[in-house]
Amino acid sequence: MSKALNEKPNAKLLPASSSAGVILNGRYLPPPEDKDGKIWIRTSALVQADPETLYEMWRDVESAPLWQEQIERVTRTGETTSHWVMRSGGKDSGGDKGKNKDKDRTIEWDSEVLADEPGRRIAWRSIGGESENAGEVIFEPSPSGRGTMVTVLQEFRMGKLASVWETIVGRNPKQAVIEYLRHFKALAETGEIPRTEGQPHGPRGKIAGIKRSMYGEEIPTPPARKAS
Amino acid sequence: MKALCWMGNNKVEVHNVTDPTILNPHDAIIKITRTAICGSDLHLFDGFIPTMEEGDILGHEFMGIVEEVGKEVANLQPGDRVVVPFTIACGNCEFCKKRIWSACDNTNPNAHLMEAAYGYSGSGLFGYSHMMGGYAGGQAQYVRVPFANVGPLKIESDLPDEKVLFLSDIFPTGYMAAENAQIQENDTVAVWGCGPVGQFAIASAFMLGAARVIAIDRFPERLDLARSIGAITVDYSGEDVSVLTALKDLTGGIGPDACIDAVGLEAHSAQLQGIYDKVKTALMLETDRPSVLRQAIQAVRKGGTVSIPGVYGGLLDKVPFGAAFGKGITMKMGQTNMHNYMEPLLQRIEKGQIDPSYIISHRITLEQAPEMYKVWRDKKENVTKIVIDPWAA
Ligand SMILES: NC(=O)c1ccc[n+]([C@@H]2O[C@H](COP(=O)([O-])OP(=O)(O)OC[C@H]3O[C@@H](n4cnc5c(N)ncnc54)[C@H](O)[C@@H]3O)[C@@H](O)[C@H]2O)c1
Ligand SMILES: [Zn+2]
Ligand SMILES: [Zn+2]
Repeated sequence: MSKALNEKPNAKLLPASSSAGVILNGRYLPPPEDKDGKIWIRTSALVQADPETLYEMWRDVESAPLWQEQIERVTRTGETTSHWVMRSGGKDSGGDKGKNKDKDRTIEWDSEVLADEPGRRIAWRSIGGESENAGEVIFEPSPSGRGTMVTVLQEFRMGKLASVWETIVGRNPKQAVIEYLRHFKALAETGEIPRTEGQPHGPRGKIAGIKRSMYGEEIPTPPARKAS
Repeated sequence: MKALCWMGNNKVEVHNVTDPTILNPHDAIIKITRTAICGSDLHLFDGFIPTMEEGDILGHEFMGIVEEVGKEVANLQPGDRVVVPFTIACGNCEFCKKRIWSACDNTNPNAHLMEAAYGYSGSGLFGYSHMMGGYAGGQAQYVRVPFANVGPLKIESDLPDEKVLFLSDIFPTGYMAAENAQIQENDTVAVWGCGPVGQFAIASAFMLGAARVIAIDRFPERLDLARSIGAITVDYSGEDVSVLTALKDLTGGIGPDACIDAVGLEAHSAQLQGIYDKVKTALMLETDRPSVLRQAIQAVRKGGTVSIPGVYGGLLDKVPFGAAFGKGITMKMGQTNMHNYMEPLLQRIEKGQIDPSYIISHRITLEQAPEMYKVWRDKKENVTKIVIDPWAA
């Protein structure tokens, strides 16, 4: 191979192209640009678990509501298809400002798995319903040998789904993907998702009202485990 | 329960709030027996740390009795007596495995806020702003402790609370500051700030082999404490005293081998520099007042180490980076990796090598805390450390 440098005892072989398009022929590639009403987000997390375990966790679509914000229910409808229900009204948290008239509103869509490589990669896209989205997740052993690099590449067409995140959860859909990967990692590594919703506090002033969407105390954190 | 709440800049109040409950399987509820006010709380009180909200419960230095545990906490039982570290760590992420506990990936529910400000998020902290987790703190009668399977240190001996309470923050913080200073046997170490963190940095520097420690502050009672454990003191407020000259005079002109900044972003400075930082922070062109950090970088010897336990929050101006580069110094800093130090330092206390309660000047009730925050801020009444009994009437 290289003639200029022959001593690199731990160097990993470079893939010609890596998953989620991060590396191509040794060059880093940025994520796809947003255009024509389509937005992209690529994000990754180093998770202390093996790729197989993480793949299984992700592939178990019916458990997605345990770690994805606002996803109320996922039902398997076939070998590769599933039906997704997302709350589009605020959750009645029972907290200070619980009353939300629209809390029962939902948006729904169907999803199909396009590629399924156990322990390595899952790709999906929506196939009708109120959201147009597609994505893939890749599980690769970290070059350090410690843990798995999980990379998610997801695209959305701006529409109901995107605006729901913005208006109800106060996140843009890109941040929502970052957060669900964060929750996935926390759940995989610790068996729980850190939360402050429901903890005590003194009388809240006005400021808290405006910034409420930014704080964990106010954003409904996914439950992490099935109600027992 | 009763809890001390932040209600705006320079305003804290005791309120009756609901008792904490278990929210996650690794949680524990602790009935607090002693809790303390920290120099770090002043940064909140004074409004230097963003994302505080009215009603936030303060306090990150506490200990008590386990009241209840979540279903996945196997190491603790109701009735156990514990000291709780102020940084919350999961024990399983890349950083916890590397024992950089204060960088834990999985304990800050508001990590996105810290990522927006700093690029990455550190661990969640108790009672220290929403950006750093938004966890209710322990200047209260009860507290919920997440990841109680990892953090709390059981106290099995009958040592009084006051001797072990400071394992919750400032003793490990002072110790890590000395460790970060990379002290070699017989080194000379300078410590700015003789508050609680400075005190334990001085003590730890001696434990780690320093021959000489030079302690810098302006409050006589704090300088007295520093001398009581063997430091040479420099009162920087003395007429004609230049700290840089003093440090040269005391080191044969070469400067200290290591400098520890145990003051942080609210350093006091009477000189022109102080006015400069005041104007700049008022105009929001600078967030922190780094006058001690500037001195430490200037004072340290060539190839020496600057260790920074003092907290910084934002953007610093006029930091002499050229001097840092020119002298080839090392800088180490950060929130304390508590979990590395609690157990070994407890052993030192049990063996009688140090009694950390020597710094306590005030013992108060929760109701007295709002008044005492002002005393603590203004360093009145010879205050050196305030300990609260949240159940005392
Ligand atoms: N790294 C961590 O994890 C960690 C943990 C706890 C505390 N801290 C920080 O450590 C710092 C000290 O904490 P503390 O509890 O001792 O606070 P403190 O306010 O009691 O002590 C600070 C001392 O610095 C002195 N000081 C101010 N300006 C000075 C100057 N120009 N030169 C010399 N001394 C000066 C003050 O007189 C005071 O005695 C704070 O910034 C605190 O937030 C950091
Ligand atoms: Zn503290
Ligand atoms: Zn961790």
